[in-house]
Amino acid sequence: MNTSLRNSLQFAAVLSATALLAQAASQSFDFKDPKGVNNVQFKLDAPLESVTGTANGVSGTVAFDADHPETTRGKIVLDAASLTVGNPLMREHLHSDKWLDVANHPSIVFEATGASNVRKQGAQVLADITGTLTVKGVAKAVTVPVTFTYLPDRLGARLGKPELKGDLLVLRANFQVNRSDFGIQPGQMTDKVAEAIDLSLSIAGSSPRT
Amino acid sequence: MTTKRVHHLLRAAAIALLLGSLGAWAATGAHLGWTQTSVVETQRDEVTGIDFPVRRPAFIAGVEVPILGLASAAALAGLSLLRRRSSHLPA
Repeated sequence: MNTSLRNSLQFAAVLSATALLAQAASQSFDFKDPKGVNNVQFKLDAPLESVTGTANGVSGTVAFDADHPETTRGKIVLDAASLTVGNPLMREHLHSDKWLDVANHPSIVFEATGASNVRKQGAQVLADITGTLTVKGVAKAVTVPVTFTYLPDRLGARLGKPELKGDLLVLRANFQVNRSDFGIQPGQMTDKVAEAIDLSLSIAGSSPRT
Repeated sequence: MTTKRVHHLLRAAAIALLLGSLGAWAATGAHLGWTQTSVVETQRDEVTGIDFPVRRPAFIAGVEVPILGLASAAALAGLSLLRRRSSHLPA
């Protein structure tokens, strides 16, 4: 084996080992919360009517490395049927084929593909997460400012099971989307149903250790 | 029952409807949106610090309640006037 081939093989081995280490350091957090606390709140403030509501059907996984948060990737899924408002008739309309068409599009999905502008603020990591948001079957690239709070060894305390070892990751995000971008009655009834939807996301994921 | 008594009853019912609907609306917070059958209370998850909404059943009268009350009261009051006029017609 000549020297240059040996050097190339060594370089490839080092690269592979580095990639494996990076992968190993990244933890997978499951956002199906056993406590049912994970929630999304939404508000549409139209000139004639203000609509506020909540949703709690959150699931998905996020790969997060506390030392390298810029490598964060993952997918958060919201069960569209869990979106609810205080008025039952309004909830029925919201789920109907004229608005979210929950029967045919049961999931609202955000798939994170990259992180930028990553900075630390005390125990929190702030980043702009870029990804694809899919609502009512329409996918659109969005960038969402997200606050990550990594809570090592807090899983057991949260679930009231001290014997359970694991970490928690809390994500918080406030952002706005336009319903017309997702083909939800574009330009219709804007006096009663605002075009802009304010979204507030507060979710916790767990990563158990064996 | 005399026609006069019917007039009085209709007007009393109109006033009761109007006051009742306005009272119910005011008593549940004079909410300017539609009627709500649940309200959200916020609780906090201690370990994560997440504030999460908890819905509990509650009746919050919306603007349609006093509007319907007013419309119904107007209809009853109008009916009492119609009956009074028709009572003046010759047999």
